Amino acid sequence: MGVIYIGDRIAGKTHLALELANPQGNYVKVIHPDYQHLKSLLYDHNLHSTKPTEADKSFYDQYLNINVQLPTGNKEINSYWLDTGGEIWRKYWQEENKAKWQEFLNTIRQSEGILLILPPYRQLVTNHPNPEEFITQKQWCNRFQRWVNFFKYDCPKIRHLLLCLNKADLFCNVQEESNLLGYIPNRSHFNWQQRNEYIYQRYFTPIHPHIKELNQSISGLSVRFFITSIYNRNLLELPWIYLGSFLSK
Amino acid sequence: MGNIVVIGPRRSGKTTYLAALSYLPALRSRKGKESNFKIQPLNDESRDLAENAENIIVEGANFEPTTVNAGGVDGLPYYSFQLQVKKGLLKKPENIQINVRDYPGEVFEKIADRNLSDEIHQEFIDECLMNDVNGCLILFTQWEYGTDKFYYRVMSQFIKLMDEKNRKNNLKLAVAMSKCERGELWAGRIDPETDLFEIHLPRTKTILKDSINPKNLRFYALSTFGVLHKNDPRPNRIDQAGSNSSESVLREPNSWQPYNLIDPLYWLSK
Repeated sequence: MGVIYIGDRIAGKTHLALELANPQGNYVKVIHPDYQHLKSLLYDHNLHSTKPTEADKSFYDQYLNINVQLPTGNKEINSYWLDTGGEIWRKYWQEENKAKWQEFLNTIRQSEGILLILPPYRQLVTNHPNPEEFITQKQWCNRFQRWVNFFKYDCPKIRHLLLCLNKADLFCNVQEESNLLGYIPNRSHFNWQQRNEYIYQRYFTPIHPHIKELNQSISGLSVRFFITSIYNRNLLELPWIYLGSFLSK
Repeated sequence: MGNIVVIGPRRSGKTTYLAALSYLPALRSRKGKESNFKIQPLNDESRDLAENAENIIVEGANFEPTTVNAGGVDGLPYYSFQLQVKKGLLKKPENIQINVRDYPGEVFEKIADRNLSDEIHQEFIDECLMNDVNGCLILFTQWEYGTDKFYYRVMSQFIKLMDEKNRKNNLKLAVAMSKCERGELWAGRIDPETDLFEIHLPRTKTILKDSINPKNLRFYALSTFGVLHKNDPRPNRIDQAGSNSSESVLREPNSWQPYNLIDPLYWLSK
């Protein structure tokens, strides 16, 4: 059980999880572990970025105790945060590490919520000096098809799949979007249906057919759409607030 | 005290119905409305459900389907409510306790498959037809071409099972068309037996009428989301694309006025 972060290499998974623990939170607070402790584990001060997740471990297993403020009050999500190294999605890694891959599959199949962190594609990126560093829309769509196949064949019982298009600061005005999408208990501008529809139509157009395929293939699956950025707290918290409504005990 | 089971196919809105039921006191007090009944959640699960109604339905999201986990039927949510009904000015209020188990739709659908025997399905049937169950609220939701045949098969088999368990003459069935806020159905809500079941599910209606004692059978129309306003009968719901088919969410939380949630339960518990 628990919530798991997955995604390709350098999609920003570790940094997202680390920033979630930042004590400057609005409605989501990581009670345990401590931000400084996590930072010492995950952040490389010389590189000014998070350390790459070690592929040989397949995933980091870290207990996360999160408090989410919902309309009816504070709720706790007791969860395991499993941060996967991007390497594990490569076929050769899976073949060379059969036991670890199986261990990972067992974990993901038992997870209540999956946050799939997606990087932006080249045509979407506007605020970056070198958009060539990002994969093209075509490659992005092809890659997503592999995710669809993974969910269909390897974990056909998943319930909550949250697609997070990360690094939103590179492709939109995060402040404007956060004003529109942000969550304020009992007086948000948008409700979940409106947020979902807005993000789905605005940022996920190239993979609409893939989403349709996913919805038709897995019964009882709820796919929801988010844009996230470590530079905007509102956007960063939204997936966890959404999960909090369903998974909090 | 009445044990009532709420059953129905997948996506017939069972959990949402129960959540709205548990949230009715908050909804009534928000609107400052007086009513001739009161409903009070009695156990932790029904209180949690009321909170979920606020965190999920009011916030424009929808419930995930109920599933059977490792605990089998005993692991399924079990809700307990106290219903207080006041009929007439001078009459004393009646207190009725209602205990409801929320079953996943797929175990209900398996009734149609006579050859299928699995432990969970068997537990479901045993519990539904136990002697201390007063009645079943059966929620149907589809009415498009072809579904009548399927519901007919399910109900024929269910009636056989009732007979085998000696419940055919003493189990009350409230058969309801749920999600009646849909434009095509809303107009038929006043006389659902004639204007909904006779028209859209004639075979299902006939097998029930032919097999069940009339005093133990009633047809209902109910709507958990209701319509926007009495002068604006547009459904208070939005359909969004989702798994298998569309998922429905509440459109205007401030106009949330469920229709006919209590009547079937009251009748079943008598």
